[in-house]
Amino acid sequence: MTVQEVVPTPAGRTPATCFEYQRAESWADAVELLELWDGEAKILAGGQSLIPMLNLRLAFPAALIDVNPIPAADPRVERDHLVIDANTRHRVLRTSEAVRTHAPLLAHAVQFIGNVRVRNRGTFGGTLSHADPTAEIAAITLATGGEILLLGPAGERSVPVDDFFVTYLTTAAEPNEVVIGARLPVAGNARWAFHEVVRRYSDFATVSVSVLARPAAKGGLRVVLGGVADRPIAVDQGLLEPVLTDPGNPDRARESADAIAASLDPDTDLHATADYRRRLVAVHTRRLLAQVFSEEGAP
Amino acid sequence: MIRTQLVLRVNNQQHEVWVRNDRTLLDVLHDDLGMPDVRYGCAEGVCGTCTVLMDGDPVSACTVYAVQAEGHEVVTLRGWSDPQEEAHPLQKCFLARGASQCGFCTAGMLLTAATLAERNPDATREEIRHELVGNLCRCTGYQAIVDAVEDYLHLPAEQTAETGGAQ
Amino acid sequence: MTTVEPGTTPDTIEPPEAPTKFDPDADSGPLERERNLRIVGQSPAHHDFVNKVRGTLLYAADWSLPGMVHAKLVRSDVAPARIVSIDTSAAERLEGVVAVLTAADVPHNAIVEHASGGLGELTIDQPVLAFDQVRYVGEPVAVVAANDPETAAEAADLVEIVYESLPGVYSPEDALADGAPLVHDEGNVLVNWHLDRGDVDAAFAEADVVIDNTYRSQHAEHAYLETEAGVGWLENDVVTLRISTQVIEHAVEIAAILGLPQSQVRVIASYMGGGFGGKEDMTVEPYIALLVWRTRRPVRMIWSRQESILASTKRHPFTMHYRTAATKEGKILAVDADIVGDSGAYPCLSARVLFAGAALSTGPYKVPVVRIRSRAVFTNNVPTSAFRGFGAMQVVFGYESQMDALAAELGLSPEEVRDRNHIEKGDILSGGEPLTTAVAVRETRSIALEMLGEPSHPSGPNKAVGRGFGSSMQPYGRSIWFRDNASAWLTLQADGTLLIRSGVTDLGAGQAASLCQIASEILGVPLADISVYIGDTALNPPAGGTFATRQLYMSGNAILRAARKLRDQLTPVAAKELGVPEDGVVWRDGMVRTDDGDTGLSLAELVRAATDAMVDTSVLHTWRARTGGFDPKVGQGHTYPDYTFGTHAAEVEVDLETGEVRLLKYAACHDVGRAINPVRVEGQIIGGAAQGIGYALMEDCVAEEGHPLSSLFADYLIPTSMDLPDIKVAFVESGEGRGPLNARGVGEPPIGPPAATIASAVEAAIGIRPKQLPITSERVLALLDQRSGQQTQNGERP
Repeated sequence: MTVQEVVPTPAGRTPATCFEYQRAESWADAVELLELWDGEAKILAGGQSLIPMLNLRLAFPAALIDVNPIPAADPRVERDHLVIDANTRHRVLRTSEAVRTHAPLLAHAVQFIGNVRVRNRGTFGGTLSHADPTAEIAAITLATGGEILLLGPAGERSVPVDDFFVTYLTTAAEPNEVVIGARLPVAGNARWAFHEVVRRYSDFATVSVSVLARPAAKGGLRVVLGGVADRPIAVDQGLLEPVLTDPGNPDRARESADAIAASLDPDTDLHATADYRRRLVAVHTRRLLAQVFSEEGAP
Repeated sequence: MIRTQLVLRVNNQQHEVWVRNDRTLLDVLHDDLGMPDVRYGCAEGVCGTCTVLMDGDPVSACTVYAVQAEGHEVVTLRGWSDPQEEAHPLQKCFLARGASQCGFCTAGMLLTAATLAERNPDATREEIRHELVGNLCRCTGYQAIVDAVEDYLHLPAEQTAETGGAQ
Repeated sequence: MTTVEPGTTPDTIEPPEAPTKFDPDADSGPLERERNLRIVGQSPAHHDFVNKVRGTLLYAADWSLPGMVHAKLVRSDVAPARIVSIDTSAAERLEGVVAVLTAADVPHNAIVEHASGGLGELTIDQPVLAFDQVRYVGEPVAVVAANDPETAAEAADLVEIVYESLPGVYSPEDALADGAPLVHDEGNVLVNWHLDRGDVDAAFAEADVVIDNTYRSQHAEHAYLETEAGVGWLENDVVTLRISTQVIEHAVEIAAILGLPQSQVRVIASYMGGGFGGKEDMTVEPYIALLVWRTRRPVRMIWSRQESILASTKRHPFTMHYRTAATKEGKILAVDADIVGDSGAYPCLSARVLFAGAALSTGPYKVPVVRIRSRAVFTNNVPTSAFRGFGAMQVVFGYESQMDALAAELGLSPEEVRDRNHIEKGDILSGGEPLTTAVAVRETRSIALEMLGEPSHPSGPNKAVGRGFGSSMQPYGRSIWFRDNASAWLTLQADGTLLIRSGVTDLGAGQAASLCQIASEILGVPLADISVYIGDTALNPPAGGTFATRQLYMSGNAILRAARKLRDQLTPVAAKELGVPEDGVVWRDGMVRTDDGDTGLSLAELVRAATDAMVDTSVLHTWRARTGGFDPKVGQGHTYPDYTFGTHAAEVEVDLETGEVRLLKYAACHDVGRAINPVRVEGQIIGGAAQGIGYALMEDCVAEEGHPLSSLFADYLIPTSMDLPDIKVAFVESGEGRGPLNARGVGEPPIGPPAATIASAVEAAIGIRPKQLPITSERVLALLDQRSGQQTQNGERP
């Protein structure tokens, strides 16, 4: 038998020590602790993504900073924006009157997040920070536009949503910055539609399509795709020209949808091939555009 | 190793424990506090086997660290319905319908269904199925469980227990 | 004529005996006095089910002993590969680690299949811990024990293993190719079954039509909610294991592995949180036993979900090449089938799975001429073994698809083509034995189809609705040459309560509870007065493992006869006390009464009287199933004791632009002989159908070069409550089962039809047949593309 290659297992791996656990009572606390740990600590919010990762020994942070004690005010409207605190549980996004009225697309999409237990623990800020490319909340905030609010050692700042999601599990937050909330322009009379393709109800989306149509002055038409790249993608306005020139015309919707699908370079994984993802985008984008611009309007 | 001393309030009783920070509520309840009605299924939070109520809401005990649970009310199946007492009407419905075969998913199903019943006593079959989507079962095909929950929701008011949630 | 491949080691079993030499099934039916059943046929919820709902049942991991250590396996992450070196020093130095064991620490490092009867398969041992090479990703190489699970996990990570990769094979096709790397030196074909009857070539020559298709199925994971787990300890020098297992008889193998006498190993089976065949081979047992023996401390091992998905045994993928020859009237003349199963890296139960596939490959149809070839082929994939349906289940997709294809070819309806070919009582099966019980398959079909109700309309444009059905036969009871038997021990106690002791193991389907129900029926003891103790090699008479849908058939019959024997033994005592003739004694409601009910004795009083009369109040009975021989060289003989027939029907809606399949309606009907507990029977049918639906639409262990793409439960897709419609169930009770009171086994049968049923419904919706499982939306879209490609070629509009 010829020797093909020598494959050593990772030698010299240091034994995991258990993380230090610290509670933050305020976002300022959390930032201070992050600074003290100098990149070796992770924020623990809902824990629905982080804790399974640590259970499976995929990461070994030196410390966890539990931000659950930090209160979240109810979602509310301030200056034409819906303000959502980071620690708002997913469940609240579904039941809150303010969210249902001023961000109906968000309230609708939340029902597809995981299951009841995930929605009881998962937080708005946690999901944004985690930046999973299939996350409904990430896609929706990209559709509504707005700003992500961050707190860091240098103080508060905001980042436009368009600039926030950088790549897989990576955001524009600087080291030692935390997401403390978001401000999303209110929906007004916007028409909207959402669909996610899942292999089983409640699974991570194979692809998702969000459509939000507002008057041009208020942002115009936004189409956001999830699950097709390393982050949610806001479709290039140029690709939406056909449907914008003649909304309600199913052929224009098809033209835009096909162009959008062709522009993508999604991954192939065990759930779907790149090609199939493109097909799904073409079909569902067309259907949602037709739905939004039809006489009947959005759900 | 780094451990924390905690006081956990479980099923209306205080427990003092000294645990590693990375020990989940599941492991502490099952192993350290000797509560076999909270069991390991996946450690991913997807199967629902380890469901407990925290402040009245179903959570996966495997995605909450024990250290996080301090200051919160934790209720397990046997806290929700004491085996020394008469069975909860929802449990009787489960028995009548054969909603438990191997029984491993049953604790999670009961606790999740109980909170649904409190929040939405008019839940339809579809809504029951939706609420239970995160509780996996491999034996029953879910139907007998949905039947049992539906039966419970249709019981006349005086036959249902007053509270099914956190004590 | 059955032949065995040269180079294999045939074991000849005695030639077939006349099947009616002695028929122990004759008394399975209710006796005259048992005709008015009071408990059997009802659906009480009792015993373990109550404990499960109250949360008091103790599963395998719900057990703790002082000084208990926690064990964790170190598994290979590459394969196949030669093990160059193993360095356990860092792991051993970690504080809190109690032991780190490798192959050198295993007295007899081989898991040997016992009681298999050889039957022409290669003899290949599976090591407990790999010693020179690993053959699949996830193969155990070392095991650690530590004072707590976190330290055990850390220690496992510290074991340093250097591997040298070897060339591997990852599909049976590759493994069968000339010059393919050998998974085992003995060869890549574990066994090669041939079933031959008649002149196949002549039959094909005279056929009007030949339907030639290849079907493929996938690896599937049992995905029980309780992973493999157990606790072991040393008690009075006996290695005692309390395990979530379907088979306590593995105690014999454990003794062999440790080099101990069999009397020094005891296995107790906890009530399982699901089994489905995945706990039929040993799982945690040898590792716990080894550590108990070495450390002298109690040991707990629980497999993580991810390691269970990665490395526990799986369902065999089958590639099934079928050729069916028929007349233009649709009568089948011959079936020529070639079945290849991916046996993975070690034999496990593969030889028997592929035998079952061969024996059932033609389905519930009259097939006068057959040439069946069925091979279990080694690959460097995860080992495959028992899973509900056991080979007989995979072939349903093959034979039912062939029937539908034949119908389509001849312009007959799927019902009609089956009606022209259905097997009937008295017909001869492929193995040469007659079918001696009722066949109600037609009836199950018409009931299932009727339960679908009115056809649904598509929910929108670009959607199509279709309906289909699938019929199946599934054996229950073990292959007849195993001389199967089961024992039960009944004791009426001084206070009139009843003790049942049986070696059965319970996987959640009422194996234990059914024994109580039957005993209650015969002896009139209320269920609340019966205690049942199961699954203990030291304390219970052996009942054989819970698999092959054999437990109700075997232990049910054992209990039935034990109870009758006890009743007959004590009736004379009762008759004397009551002053009536023996046939005037009635056992009911915890008493023994006169016919008119006027006088009676409590069971406690009866026991007292019996004790005075020196009549035993205890019976230990062994029931033996019919035996028969099977000769693999001649290829004829007896296969299984009996079969359960059934039909499922489904209606689906397909999104023609995306291929997504939505299950709108589903119905299932089986001939269960007699339903001992109707609610439980219905639960088995719905649960089995649900598992079959998962297999049909979404379950797959996807791997590349032996590496699973994911081991997360989040990625192994089993149906959720939202993925299934309400399933309508009906049973036919033909009264001709071989189980107690004429019941037929119902555990495995319902998992067979769904794949074929759904494929049939999808074909009705889209006009083209899925031939590969699972039927994912992506595959359906590809079929739709293929169809419109064909239509474009034919000048039709797509």
